[in-house]
Amino acid sequence: MKLKRIAAVATKEAREVLRDPITLGVALLMPLIMLLLFGYAITLDVDDIALGVLDEDHSPASRQLQQAFTASDTFRLSASLQHHREVERTLQEGEARLVLVIPSGFQRRLYRGEASPVQLVVDGSYSATATLVSQRAMAIARGFQRQEGSTLLSLDTRIWFNPSLSSVHTVVPALYAVILMAFPPLLTALALVREKETGTIQQIYASPLSAAQFLCGKLVPYGVIACLQMAMVIAAGLLWFGVPFHGSPGVLLAVSLLYVLCTLGIGLLVSAVTRTQLAAMLAVLIITLMPSFLFSGLLFPIFTMPYLLQLYTLLFPGRYFVDIARGVVLKGVGVEVLWPSIAVVALYTLLILVLAAWRLKKRVA
Amino acid sequence: MRLPSLLHKELIQFTRDRVVLFLILWLYTVEVVICAYALSLDMQDLPLVVADADHSPASRELVRAFTESGDFRLVAQLDDPAAVTGYLERGQARAVLVIGEGFARHLLEGSEQQLQLLVDGSNANTAAVARGYALQTVEAFQRQWAALPETPAPGVIPHLRTWYNPGVTNVSFVVLSMITLAGLMVGVAHPAASIVREKEAGTIEQLMVTPVRTEELFFAKTLPTLLVGLVALFPSLALVGWFGVPVRGSLALFFCLTALFLISAIGLGVLVAAISRTLQQALLLTFFGLFPLMFLSGTLVPVESMPRLLQAASLASPLRHYLDITLGIFLKGTGLDILWPHVLALVLIGLPLYGVAWVIFRRQ
Amino acid sequence: MTTVIHADGVGRRFAGRRVVADIDLEVRDGEIFGLLGPDGAGKTTLMQMMTAILEPSEGQLRVFGFDTRRDAAQVNGRVGYMTQGFSLYDRLSVIENLQFAARIRDVTPADFRLRSQELLAMAGLGDFRHRRAGQLSGGMRKKLSLCAALIHAPALLLLDELSLGVDPLSRRDLWRLLRRHRDEGNTVVISTPYMDEAERCDRLGFLYEGRLLAVDTPDRLRRRVAGPIYQLTTPRLDEAEGFVRSWPGVTSLQRLADRLRIQFSPGHDVSETAQAHLDELGQLMAVEPNLEEAFIALSPLAAPADRPPMMPPAFTTTGVEVRAEHLGLRFGDVVAVDEVSFRVPPCEVVGWLGPNGAGKTSLIRLLCGLQTPTAGQAWIGDLSVTESHRDLRGRLGYMSQHFSLYPDLSVAENLTFFAGVYGLAGRQRRLAIDWASHMTRLSGLEERRVHTLSAAVRERLALACSILHGPAVLFLDEPTSGIDPLSRQRFWHLILALAAHGMTVFVTTHYLEEANYCHRLGLMHQGRLIALDTPAQLRLTLNLPNDADMEAVFMAGIERQQRRPA
Repeated sequence: MKLKRIAAVATKEAREVLRDPITLGVALLMPLIMLLLFGYAITLDVDDIALGVLDEDHSPASRQLQQAFTASDTFRLSASLQHHREVERTLQEGEARLVLVIPSGFQRRLYRGEASPVQLVVDGSYSATATLVSQRAMAIARGFQRQEGSTLLSLDTRIWFNPSLSSVHTVVPALYAVILMAFPPLLTALALVREKETGTIQQIYASPLSAAQFLCGKLVPYGVIACLQMAMVIAAGLLWFGVPFHGSPGVLLAVSLLYVLCTLGIGLLVSAVTRTQLAAMLAVLIITLMPSFLFSGLLFPIFTMPYLLQLYTLLFPGRYFVDIARGVVLKGVGVEVLWPSIAVVALYTLLILVLAAWRLKKRVA
Repeated sequence: MRLPSLLHKELIQFTRDRVVLFLILWLYTVEVVICAYALSLDMQDLPLVVADADHSPASRELVRAFTESGDFRLVAQLDDPAAVTGYLERGQARAVLVIGEGFARHLLEGSEQQLQLLVDGSNANTAAVARGYALQTVEAFQRQWAALPETPAPGVIPHLRTWYNPGVTNVSFVVLSMITLAGLMVGVAHPAASIVREKEAGTIEQLMVTPVRTEELFFAKTLPTLLVGLVALFPSLALVGWFGVPVRGSLALFFCLTALFLISAIGLGVLVAAISRTLQQALLLTFFGLFPLMFLSGTLVPVESMPRLLQAASLASPLRHYLDITLGIFLKGTGLDILWPHVLALVLIGLPLYGVAWVIFRRQ
Repeated sequence: MTTVIHADGVGRRFAGRRVVADIDLEVRDGEIFGLLGPDGAGKTTLMQMMTAILEPSEGQLRVFGFDTRRDAAQVNGRVGYMTQGFSLYDRLSVIENLQFAARIRDVTPADFRLRSQELLAMAGLGDFRHRRAGQLSGGMRKKLSLCAALIHAPALLLLDELSLGVDPLSRRDLWRLLRRHRDEGNTVVISTPYMDEAERCDRLGFLYEGRLLAVDTPDRLRRRVAGPIYQLTTPRLDEAEGFVRSWPGVTSLQRLADRLRIQFSPGHDVSETAQAHLDELGQLMAVEPNLEEAFIALSPLAAPADRPPMMPPAFTTTGVEVRAEHLGLRFGDVVAVDEVSFRVPPCEVVGWLGPNGAGKTSLIRLLCGLQTPTAGQAWIGDLSVTESHRDLRGRLGYMSQHFSLYPDLSVAENLTFFAGVYGLAGRQRRLAIDWASHMTRLSGLEERRVHTLSAAVRERLALACSILHGPAVLFLDEPTSGIDPLSRQRFWHLILALAAHGMTVFVTTHYLEEANYCHRLGLMHQGRLIALDTPAQLRLTLNLPNDADMEAVFMAGIERQQRRPA
């Protein structure tokens, strides 16, 4: 390996990137914007759900039940209905996601100690919201003025690693995996395909530079950008969102470097097999961004997917890094536990880079 | 004569571009299918490890209660509670049920006792669901054990009815939201790419020395994408049937409003094309412009889960309105009388986009 | 003398199609070897194989004794290669581009300092070391590309289409660099479609449809032309052409603005009766063959270049006068067009010459209405180009440097589309398309997709698309760059025919021999119009002999301008 040649390629590439404000700006700003959007928006908890109430009882008890709903942060009274006919319209218009129907005789039955039914009508069109809303509403209704009977068995639940069950803590470490999968491959892929489209690559072919040297040189500046992105995202997670860091930063850093190499390698591989920028971008979209959102365990846990799709997720390195990042950051575990995932990422990286160097034969056709 | 020629050319060019055709079809079909199968909300098969120190019929009964509902899947059964840590750390189990010694004896004696559930909180959502499932299971087990009569308990008995989605499955939502997403991507990316390509090839200059007017060019760039977006709905509708998504409202209305949505998405694409000089810039801008729009639309994350500020911002995303329209028409069977505010919003979002793109184009 | 490149039965196929076949060739140490051939002849493919970035599919190719298939790395390390397109990084400065080229080839910093200074000075780029490559003019970019290919002093330099799009001034610099490199004992291989460039090579190979027709020195190649060649200077060209065409044995007939060049096959000559008739028409003299004629004589072409089809056009055009007064265009501090005033009568072909960046393209863009002038005004007929832009659009034809066609459409679809946007419909459209495709010999190619066509055919299609609607004024911006000699000849015959139909034609070109086809020449320099006159009158004003070639006219014009105090 001639280090000087690699350095020459790296310097050239770095200069090009530094002089392209659009690309550089996108590379450095977008991860932060993504992190902020995700950090704030993927709280899978729901607040302030619009509640409609049809109270046919008009009794103190029925008003208390309403208050039990609105006293929590989950619900906010948005409509008082007068008639059953209005229920459908309220849901259709989206004026309320949940309508609580209290039939007449509610108070009478309740005070007599009888079972006192009420109806909860949920708008099921946004299924995720509907599930959460139903759970909350059922809990509030069940708990209303009920004396705890003596129970034989009680369940002592202990939440490990994230006692407050904060979504931000869940999402931010996994985002390291997604963000590093979204940007570096796109940048490297476009950078190499651009050389193909403009023809500058022929100059490289016709020089003593080997494919491996050329790719190494290309990797350096984008690796630096990716590491910067990583550092920014970790820092923002720690300082802004207050995500705890239980494990060893050294381990995360080391594995991140490996992972960055892997994602950059994917970009290089894509650009080695595609000819146009449009094709490169579509390929990157299909093999990195979509899977790392959907099949990495970021939002949707993998174990609930059908078996075939679970196998499919094994193809994308994002899922291993999600495990590693959550392991180090939230669980505080180290290499002794995470070695299988790390080994897979390492193997993957090696394979990708070898493939890329092999596909980028120094040939025009 | 000029306009038909422009349109004819656009249509021929579209059919020649295999890569883009493939992508559009992929977005409208394969993507929808994969997501519909993969992204279910009902969490099942939560990996569970049991540390049973009691080894009694009662404890085995309890374990069966956990696994037979399908909520949990038994990964391992251990004797030593100390060994469970590793399972949680390695992520092999999401929850651990610890049954202490004397579990059966306490049950028979009727004395109170505690079971322990350890939950992996690294995915907050999964953890909450696991806790809920466990509570339900333990409660049911206890009732069954004590052979309590099934008479309705006193107090409030809520009857839950979920309208528009009685089984509360994610399938309808995923199928419909993926279709709207595909509409957005195609609507923005296709006109942007086709205009920038003409810029790069210099053919747009060639057109500028012909009598073609800017408005004719705009129209010619808009209409084919619109047609493609509408035609591509047909395979998606087949999938809608396949997954048993109900069609309660009027399909004609759906097509009309899809057209309106596509027009505002195309407006965005035209704007991107007006700003960018090269395909790379257009691609990057599209890529990163689409992201917040998708994010703020409610397709990925419920709008209600967002902070106020983002909820307000989501009103600017045409996708949010289109999603409401689509869900409304398919699941709720609503009509224009209810959907008109969304329709108005789409018009209000689309017009300024065209206006700005127009001004930039004129200046060039 | 040792052999640097040794080709033995070399061929290359792409997807089953033979692009290059049966090449047996030896390039010797210390010579400048030229590969001459039309577009699509396989020049680039052959060059790429010599550089060892493309494997030959048959035969054996040895460079410095290394097999290009097995020892590609050895070959790569010893050659300098300049690709046809620009191989520079636009965002890097001149010196940074050179530095990159040097460092990936292990040039030591000391050597680099020395050589880069020397090369840049010779190329006239010394003052632009820190300018971004993207901001250089076409000629400067070529020179920088050449410097980059020379930075490691390669023993073998391969240059693909050296002078494509380069003005004559820059071309002089390029050749200075090349000769010096050869004189230092190195070997140079260039490919070119330009005859005047081929003249400067030590030896030439004629490449035609993937095969080598002949390899020899330019002089001996010229001498291979067996038949006699005459030049007839006459004001009555149509009549003379019609007359000459009826003769047997004419292999090539080149029609210039004021003369005909007639080439006979061996054994034929002007008959005595014909001679008498020609003497009436003008002045006939026997001339030495040029390389172009040598090439045509050696190629198995269906010569002679037949007369452009004179089908009646689907429209009538009345030529209009084009007039400009103090026309100016500036971008910030840069003056692209500076106070240009002229008057061009109808039915004339006006050639605009000048170095890269002289403002030729800007001037054409101003007249087409693609750019709004920052000063002055121009009129086409009675209509102002700024105020009546919309009315003018239907009366102008424009063909840009890049042949702006839709590559994914077929020939017929492109034609139909452009006819449509000019508002032609029904019978009128059919007639116009028939006429234009007949004029430009596109018949039979209707179903081909444009991206599969050679540059020469694309050029004809672009021309067809811009004349469909019968424009009164036709603007052609470097229409013939990269086109082979025969196609170029035909192209110009067509342009002259169009002018005869009443079109006023504005052409920019770098290929000075083409200026012979123009009725009038406009010389531009640094945004100014420094002369606009007939070629004969220009020679007179510049004190040049009557037979001075166009390069001399151009150089003299530029030099006169440079001598003037600013």
